[in-house]
Amino acid sequence: MSAARPPEGAKAPVGGSDPHTVGERGGSVSAARPPEGAKVPMGGSDPHPMGARGGSGSATVLEAFSVRAGLGEAPILQGLDLALAGGRWTSIVGPNGAGKSTLLKVLAGLLRAEGRVELLGRPLADWPRAERARTLSWLGQNEAAADDLTVYDVAMLGRLPHQPWMAPASAADHAAVEQALRATQAWDWRGRSLGALSGGERQRVLLARALAVQAQVLLMDEPLANLDPPHQADWLCLVRELVAAGKTVISVLHEISMALHADDLVVMQQGRILHHGACADPRAHRALEQVFQHRIAIHALAGQWVALPLP
Amino acid sequence: MKFCSLLLALLSLCASASALQVTDDRGVTVTLAAPPQRIVSLLPSLTETVCQLDQCHRLVGVDRYSDWPASVRKLPQVGGGLDPNIEAIVALRPDVVLVATSSRASDRLRALGLKVVALEPKTHADVRRVLDKVGLVLGVPDAQKVWRAIDAGVSAAAQSLPAGVRGTRVYFEVNRGPYGAGESSFIGETLARLGVKNILPASLGPFPKLNPEYVVRANPDLIMVGAYNAEGLAQRPGWPGIRALREQRVCIFPPEEAGVLVRPGPRMAEAARLMARCLTDKAPRAAAASGARG
Amino acid sequence: MNLRHASLLAWGLGLVSLGLVVLGFCIGSAGFENLLRPLLNPADDPVQTAMARQIVWDIRLPRTLGAWMAGALLGLAGAVAQGLFRNPLADPYLLGSASGASLGVALALAGLGGAGGMLGGNMMNGAVAVSMFSSSLWVRLGLTGAAFCGAVLAVILTLTLARGVQHTLRLLLAGVIVGVVLGATTSLVLLFSPDSLQAMQAFMLGSTGFVGWTAFGLMATVWALCLAAAWVLARVLDGLSLGEATAHSLGLPLAPLRAALVAVLALATGTAVAQTGLIAFVGLAAPHLVRAVVKVPHGRLMGLASLMGAVLLASADLLARGLIAPQELPVGVLTAVLGGGYLLWLMHRRTSGLAAGGVL
Repeated sequence: MSAARPPEGAKAPVGGSDPHTVGERGGSVSAARPPEGAKVPMGGSDPHPMGARGGSGSATVLEAFSVRAGLGEAPILQGLDLALAGGRWTSIVGPNGAGKSTLLKVLAGLLRAEGRVELLGRPLADWPRAERARTLSWLGQNEAAADDLTVYDVAMLGRLPHQPWMAPASAADHAAVEQALRATQAWDWRGRSLGALSGGERQRVLLARALAVQAQVLLMDEPLANLDPPHQADWLCLVRELVAAGKTVISVLHEISMALHADDLVVMQQGRILHHGACADPRAHRALEQVFQHRIAIHALAGQWVALPLP
Repeated sequence: MKFCSLLLALLSLCASASALQVTDDRGVTVTLAAPPQRIVSLLPSLTETVCQLDQCHRLVGVDRYSDWPASVRKLPQVGGGLDPNIEAIVALRPDVVLVATSSRASDRLRALGLKVVALEPKTHADVRRVLDKVGLVLGVPDAQKVWRAIDAGVSAAAQSLPAGVRGTRVYFEVNRGPYGAGESSFIGETLARLGVKNILPASLGPFPKLNPEYVVRANPDLIMVGAYNAEGLAQRPGWPGIRALREQRVCIFPPEEAGVLVRPGPRMAEAARLMARCLTDKAPRAAAASGARG
Repeated sequence: MNLRHASLLAWGLGLVSLGLVVLGFCIGSAGFENLLRPLLNPADDPVQTAMARQIVWDIRLPRTLGAWMAGALLGLAGAVAQGLFRNPLADPYLLGSASGASLGVALALAGLGGAGGMLGGNMMNGAVAVSMFSSSLWVRLGLTGAAFCGAVLAVILTLTLARGVQHTLRLLLAGVIVGVVLGATTSLVLLFSPDSLQAMQAFMLGSTGFVGWTAFGLMATVWALCLAAAWVLARVLDGLSLGEATAHSLGLPLAPLRAALVAVLALATGTAVAQTGLIAFVGLAAPHLVRAVVKVPHGRLMGLASLMGAVLLASADLLARGLIAPQELPVGVLTAVLGGGYLLWLMHRRTSGLAAGGVL
């Protein structure tokens, strides 16, 4: 993974015609999209280096060195190296069993692994628990949820890293919870119990809980589960706002078309990283098509990249 | 030929004459062709009854809890009353098996072709009746002799009591719970024969589970209890104030004696003697005692 | 809004408790009798008053308060168990503490009884009589001590088997295994000492009949300790309710706090069992009864579940002694009827509401 970082401070052209300019960040999020109607140029005309650190202007927030990890006998991740830049949205994609969730859990410090993970330059193990919890927020998939707690209480649980042990909720906590609930359109039913909600509504509440932490880095595993398209679009806006505010978002998504909205893409296959680069980079698309055995094709459509299955 | 068939007819007549029919406590009628020579008993009181009728030698197997007289301990043990070892019983080839009415094995044993007689005495009248039945089964002519001995023994025990002991108010605790022996139980009947008053009236049944407060309010003069139930008696709330505990009038029977007291069998006379000894030792002499408080 | 409901529930339960204690003055071996009058008007009949005072102070008051306290301990333990194992079917006996207590009591009863009824009968040494002043450890320890030791040992065994508190599932499994094995051992012990069977049955069905002031004092101290500890640890349970991964990501030190929760659970359960025997259903039902009325995070849930358990057991105790006085019903049967009946009614109300198109 060579480090060809573009010069600091290079500004992204807004709405630029060529998304593959040397040294540019994948741009502001909007510039990552191809111009309307344009087809993706084939071939590697772009000197954007393979597997490079994705961006400019922001230091590496999460870094993994020679990580081997697995759940049980056979290791799932085989000696991975990865550096994720801050202030960007990175999507990890790959076929089933590629180790996406495992990688995310290792980055969050939830899974024991050989090798080293560093958060903001410090090894994860060296971080005091509460500080780490305030810096890194996790949203898992298929996790047990407390059916009996109210929506408000669940969101308030996200403030645990900020609250001293026996202290009641402070004004800042209430403000954070309100902000998080409004951002996920869950504010109106904050008094209802979790068990009374539908799958999509529950997912939004859990997302609010992750937002309430107000952490610098958000790791989300399948955050779009049970969300219908309007809410998926809401989620997209939310992530863009977070990134614009300087937060780092790393998600594992198996909806590839949604994943292609990200700034950067990490393409995984069988526990290894095949490609790590800007989403708009055609090499990322090629890598993606490759890991899915060319059963998908990436096209530009109405200003976005979409992955269409090839029957 | 004619003589032979006549002889045969006569013999079969004799055989059927000596065949006896017994209706046990479950209402089942059992036919025994001849007095049984090999007997298995699954209830300690029935074992003791058989031995008391001098037929100990006919026992070939007993349950694990039969322990009197000492000779039965040498016999093969075939499990307990509630969990008998069917195979072991059958292997002993008994002519009859004596069980409690509550035993679950009787149907199985009957299905295997064994003769099962279910008897379970609960009161003095029951003991007398069971003696009769067992005597009938064993072919012993005068089973009532045993009953007369028991009766005489109990009366003798009663007479041995000093005068002031009559009317003592007694509480007999059978088990933790607390379960007491009421007037209508065989223990209660023995106590009544000894002339003492039971704080538990017949209306409560033979072995009621009590509110400990009841005993405090009844304030018995004397308490009888077995050794392993006696632990912590004086620490029960409110009990130190009971007359029996204040004046140290508690008879604690060691395990073998406790075993005799709670078996409704031929050793009831001995039970009566044990109770009489206890009363003689510990009952208050001035027995126009304090009435119940409250 | 929920907070107000929670406060209302707490006040309601407190008032009911007060009512139960007053009723407890009047219900005893003679059924319902108004002992308040002689107590409040001592001049009327001094003999009556003295009797009333003795009965109430020595017997009825400690018993009612003891039942309340045992219920409080079990309700608290139930809330902790259900939060710790994230399983609504969890009850305080899940870590094998019930079986351990039973085994301790069975051994104590068998030990006190001497060698009667041993296997083969040939080892019968009728010459040995056990006296009240035996130096046997079991006699000195007493049944309550034996029950408590048994419960604690069972929990330690469970923790050893589960190799710590790392994995909730492993802990649960180990608890079930220990429970089954110790239960079988108890049956074995009773087989060799059949005279203990009836006493054992009294223990298994639970009894508040012998609770005095010492027992009450002990339970009250333990309850205060456990409640305080549980309040401090409540947020761990809240975090855990979102799953172990999320709890970890929120910065909760799971292992030591889980160990502390297990300790609270074992202490509360062991103390209650040692005083009153095994009373089923209180620990299971109390948290559910609270949750059916109000939705609260664990901090309040534990206090409310404790109160609810206390009211449940105190009511059951009153009924146990009042219904067929002077005989007593086993209190465990009544807790099941009361708690279970109320839960059934709540469920019925919910489902009929749904059927009528109502919104939960």
